[in-house]
Amino acid sequence: MDNRTEHSEGPNGHDNFHERPRLVKGGLTFNDITELVSYHAERKTPKAWFAAFAVASSGAVLLLAMLAYQVYNGVGVWGNNQPVAWGWPIVNFVFWVGIGHAGTLISAILFLFRQQWRTSINRAAEAMTIFAVICALIFPTFHVGRVWAIYWTLPIPNQMEMWPQFKSPLLWDVFAVSSYFLVSLIFWYVGMVPDLATFRDRAKGFFRKRILGFLSLGWTGANRHWRNYEKAYLLLAGLATPLVLSVHSVVSFDFAVSILPGWHTTIFPPYFVAGAIFSGFAMVVTLLVITRKIYSLENLITIDHLEKMNVIILVTGTIVGFAYITEFFMAWYSGLEYEQYAFLNRAFGPYAWAYWIMMTCNLVTPQLFWFKKLRRSIPVMFTLSIFVNIGMWFERFVITITSLHRDFLPSSWGYYTPTMVDVLTFVGTFGLFFTLFLLFLRFIPIVAMAEVKTALPESDPHHYEGDGQVASTRGRDVPYIKPSQGYQSYRGGSQSTPLSDDDENSSAA
Amino acid sequence: MSDTESRSSSLLTWLIDPLRPTADSAPDAFTFTGDRRSWLVPVALGLALLAISALGWLVDPSRFYVSYLIGWTFCLTISIGALFFLFFNHLTKAGWSIVVNRINESLLWGFPMLAVLFIPVLFGMDDLYKWTNPELYIEGGPKYDVLIAGKAPYLNTPFWGIRMGLYFVIWSVLSYRLYTLSVTQDVTGDPEIMSKLRSTSAWGLPLTAITVAFASYDIIMSTDAHWYSTIFGIYLFAGAMLALLATMVIIGTSLQRSGMLTDTITPEHYHDLGKYLFGFTVFWAYIAFSQYLLIWYAGIPEVTIFYRHRLEHAWEWHSAMLILFHFAVPFLLLLPQITKRIPVVLGILAVWLFGMHWFDLHWNVMPNLFTDGGFHWVDFTTWLGLLGLFMGAAIYRLSRHALVPHRHPYLQESMHFENV
Repeated sequence: MDNRTEHSEGPNGHDNFHERPRLVKGGLTFNDITELVSYHAERKTPKAWFAAFAVASSGAVLLLAMLAYQVYNGVGVWGNNQPVAWGWPIVNFVFWVGIGHAGTLISAILFLFRQQWRTSINRAAEAMTIFAVICALIFPTFHVGRVWAIYWTLPIPNQMEMWPQFKSPLLWDVFAVSSYFLVSLIFWYVGMVPDLATFRDRAKGFFRKRILGFLSLGWTGANRHWRNYEKAYLLLAGLATPLVLSVHSVVSFDFAVSILPGWHTTIFPPYFVAGAIFSGFAMVVTLLVITRKIYSLENLITIDHLEKMNVIILVTGTIVGFAYITEFFMAWYSGLEYEQYAFLNRAFGPYAWAYWIMMTCNLVTPQLFWFKKLRRSIPVMFTLSIFVNIGMWFERFVITITSLHRDFLPSSWGYYTPTMVDVLTFVGTFGLFFTLFLLFLRFIPIVAMAEVKTALPESDPHHYEGDGQVASTRGRDVPYIKPSQGYQSYRGGSQSTPLSDDDENSSAA
Repeated sequence: MSDTESRSSSLLTWLIDPLRPTADSAPDAFTFTGDRRSWLVPVALGLALLAISALGWLVDPSRFYVSYLIGWTFCLTISIGALFFLFFNHLTKAGWSIVVNRINESLLWGFPMLAVLFIPVLFGMDDLYKWTNPELYIEGGPKYDVLIAGKAPYLNTPFWGIRMGLYFVIWSVLSYRLYTLSVTQDVTGDPEIMSKLRSTSAWGLPLTAITVAFASYDIIMSTDAHWYSTIFGIYLFAGAMLALLATMVIIGTSLQRSGMLTDTITPEHYHDLGKYLFGFTVFWAYIAFSQYLLIWYAGIPEVTIFYRHRLEHAWEWHSAMLILFHFAVPFLLLLPQITKRIPVVLGILAVWLFGMHWFDLHWNVMPNLFTDGGFHWVDFTTWLGLLGLFMGAAIYRLSRHALVPHRHPYLQESMHFENV
């Protein structure tokens, strides 16, 4: 994306086809962006936030209670049984790791592809990654029978002279997911330093100044700072990209290296990665549709951003569909009765309901995004993004459970039913996730201000045509959320003038 | 320019280039300045090498057929890669790639010619595809093979032929649209053509993905009808992208060394092509290694046999070479910026990867039919012979039209593109 092209906004804020759309709508200036993003972290906490936080943190407490109960009584409190020794915990683990992948895709991969539209959404998406990975890490930690011996998975020299088995993909998981968490955290933090410095410079209170001053590492925005920062960011993006692909591949190895029909198939690594991006983007859409409404960020996270995300959902959803077709075809083509039965059992066995939920949600509903009208409709995308996440949870459920509950020996066929503890633990992770996400919304710049500013046409050195006048003031006539309205008389809801996108309706939030 | 008057006259020219020449309307900076030799020499060389290969056919027909199939698949993957590359660029409204897109479009229209060049393979069906042997399907017979007999609904010659025809029709229709729309834009300058290209790409991408996957099963995987791998279509796609990008760099640098497009393609574009090359080198390794790891790890006999063939009788050297020279060496060499920004260096690396892609295809097909590792001279003559025809035709197409889609709305942006 490059801003040299002249812009002309047609009706509904939509550009002519071959012109680059403005990423930031409403003609926001540099100052407007700073004010708009900083406002929410600087004002008094609204009551609605406390209400939401109370609900979310109750969920987090529920999670702690369930984990304590399970550790005290043993893993038998879950529904896992002999043929199906991996139940909901592993399903939820893969689900949450998958959710986390969109953040890295948005921040690292789209950065490498020079997609400037990522700037408005990368901060929230990366936050989502980190919180989702925290939720994910809970499951492999606690689904072992003896959680207090979990440190044996680490290659630490010890008095027993025993080491972990490096051939196990479960050990690779330990390394993959923990390094993924660390790298994501560093990447997120490095990206945040300039914005924290902005907050520091605006801070009024004594402690706020000190804390932000500490966290922003003495950033002054000097030329030398920026040069090193850009290099570091590029390197981190380059490192995070193979990492993100390898993490979910390793997660897929947990299944694919086994000899189980339905698990042992070579397409799993890229297929899991595509599925992860698919579900992760759906989660980003779910969260951002609400966030942009409540925090009046419609001019930064525009309908164009959401549309692009929906296109990615469509693409990755279609890749996942392609993988379903491939698996089904190869199961037949292999000529192995076990493989063939595994897939027939998925479609017509006792878990057929789960299979068809997965098929409908992942293969059928995202195809609605072929229509531009639906891609740009807030209620439609919100509904579909929920559907996608339901579908992707069931995909992991289908892969894990249906392959386990009926395999080689009919004498060891079983059925799996989750218990209340399974369900509440999963609900609890959502509580933890939203607790962390609400804290993020409260204290951290939700949008990467410094990066969004580089996407403005005004930041292009050629923008001012030598006479000090703004060459193009087009786009300024679009009504936007005025600072005076947004920052000073904010009353918890959005009082903004509606955007020029006439296909936006407020039923989303 | 209506469709009727833009069409080529005779069938032969249609196979090579379906459009009347439009180079006259191009600005001087974007015209092909080479003479006939630039495409006649590769074609003549290709024909000569194919004539020598015919001798190889007399000596050892079954080896010839396999070598021919590998060479033919190599050319096919370039065109398939060209399809994908254009899909990606049209769908993402990429601005940087406009100046190299026409090079890509010249490689696109390879499908009709490749369909004609496929005829020798049909004569060698029994040598290439053991599943054509009817004795395998006679129950209770001495050669009865229960696994292959189970695949009969899919692996039978008529249906196989219908599928191949279908793939080529789909690919040719998509190529025709992408190629002719872009060339038409040179003449009419209609900016709306961009949206047509984009919509074609939108439905073309999933369709091509599915057809390429099944084509990889039909053309390569079924040379060993017992073996199967779900990732195989993606494996071929990764190789195809690599082959295409290498070809683009080779043609781009060659054009510039011949004094064309000197100021149009800049180190910035090479840098991006180099990044693409690097990315697909890694992607190929990821797919190839995933396939190997999962099969090695589980050790299920039906599937492990594929790697058994490739880890004995001197094929183990080929496998080691593949890891080292298809991944490790290009990975390290393409990692720094500097190698991607110097056209000559990137050109050498592209030639290297170009050769390695053929090596990869050879490694995939040959051990299924010949137990002993090594090369036969006919492997090279068929490959280079077909490549001569394929490349000659591509350069001929380039010479008939502007070297750059010069009325594309993003052209200025592409000319001034910089890697930030």
